[in-house]
Amino acid sequence: MSGEPILRLENVHKRFGKLEVLRGINLDVGRGEVVCVIGPSGSGKSTLLRCINLLEPPEQGRIFLDGDEITAIARSDRVDEVRQRMGMVFQQFNLFPHKSALENVCLAQVKVLGRDEREARGRAEALLARVGLADKLDEYPDRLSGGQQQRVAIARALAMDPHVMLFDEVTSALDPELVKDVLDVMRELAAEGMTMVVVTHEMGFAREVGSKVVFMDGGVVVEEGAPAEVLDSPRHERTQRFLGRVLEH
Amino acid sequence: MDFIFNYYFDFKNYVFSDGHFADLMRGFWYTIKLLVIAGILSLLWGLVLAVLRQSRAKAMAPLRWLTIAYIDIFRGIPLLMVLLLVSGVSIFGAPISGEILPKELVSPTWLGQPSPFWYGIAALTITYGAYMAEVYRAGIEAVPEGQMEAARSLGMSHSDAMRYVIVPQAVRKVIPPLLNDLIALMKDTSLVAFIGLIELTQAGRDIQAETYNGSAIVFGALLYLALTIPMARVVDILIAREQRRTRRGGGEGPAEVEPLPVGGSPAGGPL
Repeated sequence: MSGEPILRLENVHKRFGKLEVLRGINLDVGRGEVVCVIGPSGSGKSTLLRCINLLEPPEQGRIFLDGDEITAIARSDRVDEVRQRMGMVFQQFNLFPHKSALENVCLAQVKVLGRDEREARGRAEALLARVGLADKLDEYPDRLSGGQQQRVAIARALAMDPHVMLFDEVTSALDPELVKDVLDVMRELAAEGMTMVVVTHEMGFAREVGSKVVFMDGGVVVEEGAPAEVLDSPRHERTQRFLGRVLEH
Repeated sequence: MDFIFNYYFDFKNYVFSDGHFADLMRGFWYTIKLLVIAGILSLLWGLVLAVLRQSRAKAMAPLRWLTIAYIDIFRGIPLLMVLLLVSGVSIFGAPISGEILPKELVSPTWLGQPSPFWYGIAALTITYGAYMAEVYRAGIEAVPEGQMEAARSLGMSHSDAMRYVIVPQAVRKVIPPLLNDLIALMKDTSLVAFIGLIELTQAGRDIQAETYNGSAIVFGALLYLALTIPMARVVDILIAREQRRTRRGGGEGPAEVEPLPVGGSPAGGPL
């Protein structure tokens, strides 16, 4: 980790009606770090990612990306520029079903970055090959397995050359035997130095790949630190209880 | 039983005689032109209305409210009234507009049509645009929210996301109900007879009045059916195909949305 953080959250609050989902989150993510966010469902993990991406602009607090305060422009046109710098991968893949794998990866390159068709196609082919789908370029999403769809979704996000990648429980909707392929792709990305914020239930992945593990509960960060510290010798009772339940089976 | 044949099915004496067949076909040609032109215009106009109605920007709010009011009003009043208003007293109409607008604009004749034809196109488009807007809206709302989020997360603007991601999927979902509306529109073209266009129904009626025999009307009905029944079959095929696709796409894929049921068509006595 060098210099100032690429992503910084200061006292971020998010409310849905009366329910306060995030209650003052502070978080620094350094360049090349892989921050794994764990916690029980309803703890605000996914909301946290959606706030960072400004899909759900926070009501209070500030978020900085590359040193710019992005919360200030959450409701302006410039929000599209900010989102280009953050790739997001969703639990439900959200591939565009009317477009082939290749077209899924090309669309935003052409319409947002203004790349010409040939350049976009070249990039898309290279990225799809990298996630192991060189032979599925022209398949439509409904002909692909969940694991394959999720890898297309990762390629689609990478095509925008993001500075940070956000992963929102990307293996939770997958059959167990398909999880590995997706995690392998993420492992490789991490090894290449991509900055990543990963909301996950995969404790093995967090331990092995994470540079930092953040445990959230009730809309706050309860505990954070090196994976071995947090996962093996958690200091807080809530963390212990959660890990006890998760690691039991 | 001869009475039934003689009154309804004696095509030889009452259709294929005295130039009646040519009259009917001339009327049928108007009906087809009304269907095709008003059909295409209302498909486009309905999409414009649906997208305006779906806009989220604050600056668009007045336009959004206007759109909702438009849709409510023109779905809620009889097509016949729209037809009478458009052709009679509005700025399109002859009495006032002759002084306000140049004649070519008031009653366009570039396609060689007399003006009732264009009033008919206008009225059908105004009303069916409102119906189709609601069909499109149902399609837009049936696209999972994750699609918009995925598009926005890639840096696409709301309007680009609508254009390249949401609307193409929505349109695919609503092709069957839209076709159903086109069938209804086809039948409603007969209302244009009220303002003086001799389309298929009126052509049959004229022959009936002249001959005191209903065979020409029955023949006209067969001509309508020759178009509407194939359209109905196309709707069936499209629905079946969509259902097969949806079932296959099941499993762990993203939750596919059921194709929208055909229904809520305006065919329900427009008079």
